[in-house]
Parts: sequence; C-alpha cells; structure tokens
Amino acid sequence: MDKQQIGLKLALDTLGVPLQLESFDDRLILQKTICLIQAAGIHLGYSFNWYLRGPYSSQLTNDAFKVQHDVNSGMDESVGWNLDPGSISKIENLKTLLISNEDKSTHARKVELLASLKYLIDRRDISCHQSLEEIRSYLLGFHKDYSTQEISKSLTQLKQYGFTA
Amino acid sequence: MGSQHSLSVPHVIVDSIHGDIHLSDLEMKVIDTASFQRLRYLKQLGMGHVTYPNATHTRFAHSIGVLGIMARVTDLARDTLELSSEDVQDLRLAGLLHDIGHYPYSHLMEHIDNIKLTEEFIESSESNKTLIASSQKYFDHEIVGEAIVTSQEDLVGAIGGEERATKIAKLFRREESAHSQLSKLIHSSLDMDRLDYLLRDAQAAGVPYGKIDLNYLLNNFHVSNKGVLGVKLKALTAVEQFLYARFFMHKAVYYHKTTFALEEICRQLLRRLKDNKFEGLPRDGNEVIELVKSKELNLFNDSFVDRIIEKAVQGEDDLIKSLASCLRERKPPKLLKEVSVYEQIGTEYHAGSAFKKDCRNRIQSLAENNEVDVRRIIFCETKQLKLEQRAGMLSEKEARSLEDSEREEIVKVFKSEAEEPVSIMNIDHSILNVSSNYFYQSFRLYYVPNFNESNTNELVNNMKEEVSGWE
Repeated sequence: MDKQQIGLKLALDTLGVPLQLESFDDRLILQKTICLIQAAGIHLGYSFNWYLRGPYSSQLTNDAFKVQHDVNSGMDESVGWNLDPGSISKIENLKTLLISNEDKSTHARKVELLASLKYLIDRRDISCHQSLEEIRSYLLGFHKDYSTQEISKSLTQLKQYGFTA
Repeated sequence: MGSQHSLSVPHVIVDSIHGDIHLSDLEMKVIDTASFQRLRYLKQLGMGHVTYPNATHTRFAHSIGVLGIMARVTDLARDTLELSSEDVQDLRLAGLLHDIGHYPYSHLMEHIDNIKLTEEFIESSESNKTLIASSQKYFDHEIVGEAIVTSQEDLVGAIGGEERATKIAKLFRREESAHSQLSKLIHSSLDMDRLDYLLRDAQAAGVPYGKIDLNYLLNNFHVSNKGVLGVKLKALTAVEQFLYARFFMHKAVYYHKTTFALEEICRQLLRRLKDNKFEGLPRDGNEVIELVKSKELNLFNDSFVDRIIEKAVQGEDDLIKSLASCLRERKPPKLLKEVSVYEQIGTEYHAGSAFKKDCRNRIQSLAENNEVDVRRIIFCETKQLKLEQRAGMLSEKEARSLEDSEREEIVKVFKSEAEEPVSIMNIDHSILNVSSNYFYQSFRLYYVPNFNESNTNELVNNMKEEVSGWE
C-alpha cells in the first residue's frame, strides 16, 4: 500500500466504518464520505471531479479496491500507523453525521446531497444564500431530485459541522 | 489535419507525429503566452532520457499534438452533438491546455506525499508511525492547471476572460458541470492524451512498441445519439493493438528499470528534502498553488528540480548527497533483486507479494549484516499494469457491473452504429476477454551506494547473494 492508501484505511478505521465495495451504494457512500472528510481538513490526497452522481474520484475507487484486496490477503500495511491527533479529532467530530443506522440507500442519498452541496458551494456554482428553490432547480439540471426540505436539512448540517460559514 | 468549416484556423504548426496542425488566432495567442511557453521546459518523459537519449521531447509538443487530435474528434462529433463554433473552440483549448499544470519532471513531484521511505516501509516492532493528514498534499496537475488557467493574467487574457478560462478548466478536468455533452468528449474511452503520447514517446525513445494505427482509429470513431464516443466494430483490432501498445510502452519505457530507479531516487530525495523543509521546495499543496499563481511560474520547470539537486549535492547529509549525486551523475542505484509477475487479477499470493513481504521483514537485517545505512536500501514496485484499466482488482465480470461514472477507462465499441456502444469486454471474440484478466507488476530492491565507500562492488555482491537466498 502506498501512503495514500494507508491514509484511506486509517481514516475509515478512525471513523469506524468497514470498507465495503460490493454494491453501487457502498461505493457511492465511500466516495461521498471521503469527500466530506477531506472537506473537513483531513487531507488524504484525493482529487474530486463532478460526475453524474456528484463529486467523484476514480483514484479513490482504485485505492479502495487495492486496500480491500491487501487486507483480505493479510498484507495490511496500515498496521503500525496512526493518523495525527488533529485529524483523528476532526474525524471523531464527524461521526454523528457520517455514520448512520438508516438503510443503505437512504444514507447514500443523504451523503450524496451533503457532498454535492459542499462541492458546489466551494466552487461557487451555488451559494448558501440562494433560495432553496434555486438550489433545487440547479441540482435538477444534474438529474438530482431532492426536495427543498432535504436541501434545507443538508445546508443546516453543513453549517453545524463547520463545512460552511 | 483538416481545417474546421466554421472555425477559422489560418495558422499551421508542423508536428513530427501528426504533420500539419491548423490553429486558430485564439490558440496562437494562448500558445504565445509565457505561461504556455513554460511547457517547452518540461520533458514529457521525466527522466526517460537517461535511458533513451532522444526522449527529450516536451509537454509543449505533446499539448499541441493533443489539440490536433481533438480537432479531428470535434470534426467527427460536431453534427451529432450539435456543437457550435464556440463549443469546438472550447474543446480544442481544453486539449491544448490539459497539461498546463504539470510539475517539473512529469509526475515525480506530484506524488511525493505518497512515497514511503525505507524506514516507513519496513516492519518494525518499535513505536507507531504517524501519518500526517493535517497538511495539504501536493495537488494533482489538473488542479494546478486549473489554478494557472484561471489566475495567470496572460492566459486569462488570451483565452478571453475569467469566465471562459473557468469553463476550459472544467473541461480539461472532465467535470460534468460543464456542458454535459462536451465533457463526454473529454471523458471518452479512447483518451486523446494517450493517442498522442504513445506515438510521440515511442518515436522519441526509438522503440516500436507505441506504434498505433491512429488514422484508422480516428476514422472509425463514432458518437452515439447519447453523445458517447466509441469505436466501430471493424476497428476492433486497432483498438486491441492500441491497448497492447500502451501495455508494452509501460513495460519497456515508462517502467524501464534504470529510468524507474532514478525516478524513485528523485522521489525519495524530494520527499526527504520536503520533510526537512528544504528552502525553495513548496512545503505543501497550498504553497504549490501560491507559486503557480505568481510570477515565479515560469521558473517552475525541470530546472527547478535540477537546481534543488545541485544544492542537495553540496549539503551536509551523506544520504541526501548520495541520492542527489545519483541523479546529477546519472549513476543509477544498484539493483539487488527484481521479481516480475504476470498473474490473474485477484491472485492474492504470488512471487511478487512474497518478495515484498520478505523485504519488509528482512531489509533491516540485510543492512545490519552488511553494515550499511538501512535508508540506502530502497524497495519499490511498479503499478499493476493491466490491458484494460478498470478499477482496482475487479474481475471482468465485476467490472461489467460498474456504473458508467466508475468505468471511464473502459473502451467502448459499437456493435451497431444505431445503438449505444458497449464495453469492449462485451465483444466475445475480442482478445481482451482472455488477456484483460491478468496484470503485470515488477518489484525491485535497490542499494544507493555511498560514493565515499571503496568496496561498493563487494557490498553489492554480498547483498545480492543474501537476497537471492530469501524465499
């Protein structure tokens, strides 16, 4: 594993979520979770671009499969490594947002919206000060159909967890 | 290369690969900027010239080559995607500027944060190692490119303003938030980038492995009604040959053991210097962005690293001096052992993974037995090289289950031009169905000599013998 892959494994271990890649929802949740972790200031080194389902990193998909394979083969090189304390603390603070007892598809929908809004706000494609209808309309342009209630809730959460001012 | 019917392209650059490439006034303005001219001083193949002396071609030539290919593809796609002249111009500019953010020596600097030093690689019963995730890693070159294109005044001015510059950047970053049909062209299965560099790199290196039938491929590109780019079935052999060419170029040129060794030395050197906050080397990704947005951008070329190497040679630290001397004097480290494998995807245990495990467990004792600094023994591995670059260790069956956004690298073929293209893996008679289930990878162990030592040959022979005895 290179250090980026080790960082990925450590971040997921700290968050307390297993690395699951079997279904599309599993992979989507991973993508958006890491996107949000990085947005919180834990720099794992993944570049995200905007694709059909929001921010996506192809390198992250590759690394996730590699890490899973290495762990399953008994070659987990993250053993003996820890994240720095500051990053651990930040991830701990995100647990209530990023860990869920909801069913997978509900959780996937939620994190997709959170990560997408954060990404678009950072790129100034949308603003927190726009109306919910405007934001909803913008997202519909990407075939993302979210209610204004869902959008409002996500914006509140982004603010609450320090992603936006 | 023909001219666009509605885009005026009065200028011509003669290219050694594609012949005449016709350029618009706007493209010439962009090329004439100092920010673009910087690409003349970035070698396309990083340190490839140490093995192939003629491989000194530049990112500048490659960027113009990609524009040339993009011009042909936009010609083809114009009607199906209803592209306006502005759309065509934007795509051509995206092709021209796709590498504007490259670091010195190709990908060497870009990924130094991922490098594991020997002391981080080896198994140790001592205290835990800390991975610092609180500082911003060096960004990848596409993000750096976006910063350059949207902030360097000469480029913004030449492109026609910040808004258009931002749009171009989104295109070369393959963002879907740009015009969705346009980004499908950049996001295509047969990468414009690869189509140029395989031919260019092979010609410069003087090897035959990168020869692809570019004309036949381009003449058989087709765009579906949904804007998906693929290749007609009759060009299947040309596609297969393209994928094999990429595979063999990696094996013979990009992963050549001498070039790879020196590049690894350079990565190790830069990583150690960065950790020691070496003056002149950006400390994190934010400093890289600051640098490329400033007037210092024009100095951020291969000479930037050459100057660092020269300073490092003059330094106090023996290891740093040795690493830097290897590079300055073109003295590659000594190869102690190489294990190459060609295995089925999903194979957990093979000779390479066994060798890697041995290295992790035994490098410390190897160093002690031979009384050398353990940090001079460097393990490295190439990436897994597969014919079809699908995600991770997926089998062919699993790869077929990926969503579109997850399989951008999978080549698409039109079984019938009236239908949407399918993955090449769905073509039963394609050779890819057999060979794409395997990967090639090489694992290498090197020793970096101390140029003060008088017994290097003896040391190396002893270490080789010891390592050859590892199971």
